[in-house]
Amino acid sequence: MSKKHLRQRAKEIAGEYGYLSYMIERYLSLWGEDDTLRFIEACVRPIRTAIRVNTLKTTIGSLVSRLESKNVTLERIPWLEEGFWADFGTGSPGALFEHMLGYYYVQGVPSMTASSVLDPQEGEVVVDMAAAPGGKTTHIAQLMNNSGTVIAIDSDRKRIASLESNIQRCGVANSLVVRGDSRKLSHMGSTPDRIMLDAPCSGEGLIPLEPSRKTSRSMADVRFCATKEDELLEAAVNALAQGGTMVYSTCSIAPEENEYVVDGVLQRHPEMRVVEIPLEFGSPGYVEPYGVGLDSSLSMARRFLPHLHGTEGFFICKLMKEEESA
Amino acid sequence: MTADLMDPNDWADVTNQIDGEFGDGTTKALLGGQAPIIIQRGESNTIYLIPMDWIGRIEEYEGYNIRSMGVQMGDLSKGRFRFSLQILPALAKITDRVLVVSQKGAETFTYGRSIIKESVVRLGSAMKKGQRVLVLNERLECLGLAALSIDGDRLGRLAKEKLVAKNLVDIGAYVRGA
Ligand SMILES: C[S@@+](CC[C@H](N)C(=O)[O-])C[C@H]1O[C@@H](n2cnc3c(N)ncnc32)[C@H](O)[C@@H]1O
Repeated sequence: MSKKHLRQRAKEIAGEYGYLSYMIERYLSLWGEDDTLRFIEACVRPIRTAIRVNTLKTTIGSLVSRLESKNVTLERIPWLEEGFWADFGTGSPGALFEHMLGYYYVQGVPSMTASSVLDPQEGEVVVDMAAAPGGKTTHIAQLMNNSGTVIAIDSDRKRIASLESNIQRCGVANSLVVRGDSRKLSHMGSTPDRIMLDAPCSGEGLIPLEPSRKTSRSMADVRFCATKEDELLEAAVNALAQGGTMVYSTCSIAPEENEYVVDGVLQRHPEMRVVEIPLEFGSPGYVEPYGVGLDSSLSMARRFLPHLHGTEGFFICKLMKEEESA
Repeated sequence: MTADLMDPNDWADVTNQIDGEFGDGTTKALLGGQAPIIIQRGESNTIYLIPMDWIGRIEEYEGYNIRSMGVQMGDLSKGRFRFSLQILPALAKITDRVLVVSQKGAETFTYGRSIIKESVVRLGSAMKKGQRVLVLNERLECLGLAALSIDGDRLGRLAKEKLVAKNLVDIGAYVRGA
């Protein structure tokens, strides 16, 4: 398709489905027309609710039988031991006692996957650089069995209140919550074993959950987010301990906020490399989005896409910092 | 906002208040092997319990706005200590100063309401008016804290719609505030 033809077609599709034209133009050049239309269709289908069992407060078996006795239908998420798709019928997932008691967290499947990919270990120091409202912080604490330290940073005062509420509800005892700008992480003088950077993003993956996202953000917004993501990732890389592991994730499907950002860091930091994710989910990261050649290791990153995986759009990349040779 | 080790005199005050209501040794048992620290927020001071090996690291975060550390135990305001929700499940394992409520009572209590006679499944007869008690459901899961409006031994004589305990804090706050 010529550039002119692609623009024209994008305009038509955008008009028909109520998107901004620049978005459809990008989808057409990333995926072609058939997949673009599949994506658009998938974005009007509801995303299944999912929960994560909080093993700090209960066991998987006991919560499953309690929820089932309340007519909640649960289905295991194959790659996540503690994750379930959950159909609450006409009830609200947040209104049950078991939720107030902190026995589960209502969380998107990609989000719970991101903390599992980080794979934090007991006794480690882990930093969650964009922590509020705490879906990943509470999951990380649970995976560490409340040992070691999770330093949870966020810049937004209001969102920190929700983070603290979730930390308390879930019985997290190993967290330290700090308000500030994570771009200054290295000033903290801590060299974390692991870092979770679930970066603030344009939210382009959230269209199935927020239809207004079809028109609410411009290409300039995407670029603005990409710049901030780049700064946050740079700060993470500088602070991470040698031999340390990190996860970079966003709820955006834009390569500009994902593969491009990671590619930039790989170019600047030869000590950083993308590593394999040992869980079966999603599809590979892009190595040639819009025809731009990027580091081939980015195929080890993973994407969730509404039309392929029935979830919101999401990007997860696991990175390691090599030990300096003596 | 900064974190500081707790002043021993303030801690003694807190201990007296808690042990006075929940029994001798309660505060010590709650503390376990942890250290109490204070984080100031405006007028009130919030007490957190942190692992001993974090003490040396408090200073590392100087210059940062520390919001919380470890387990939130409660607030200390003008000398009066108030429990936080997060510590209550641990307290429930230690104390017998509890009020067990029915399923229906549990529902209304977690909507922020108080407890009436009809909802009470169990209340120790030795407990006194004004005293704080943990509110548990029939599975003995902790739902919050309430203040008794009657002496325990008067319960039998009460009409079913009469107030037994006033809601001080309940886990419904986690979802109401969200
Ligand atoms: C995608 S959300 C994080 C969601 C969270 N990880 C979870 O799983 O619940 C991004 C967060 O980054 C925070 N944020 C934005 N800029 C930041 C900065 N410079 N430093 C720290 N946090 C920041 C926002 O306030 C927002 O809460």
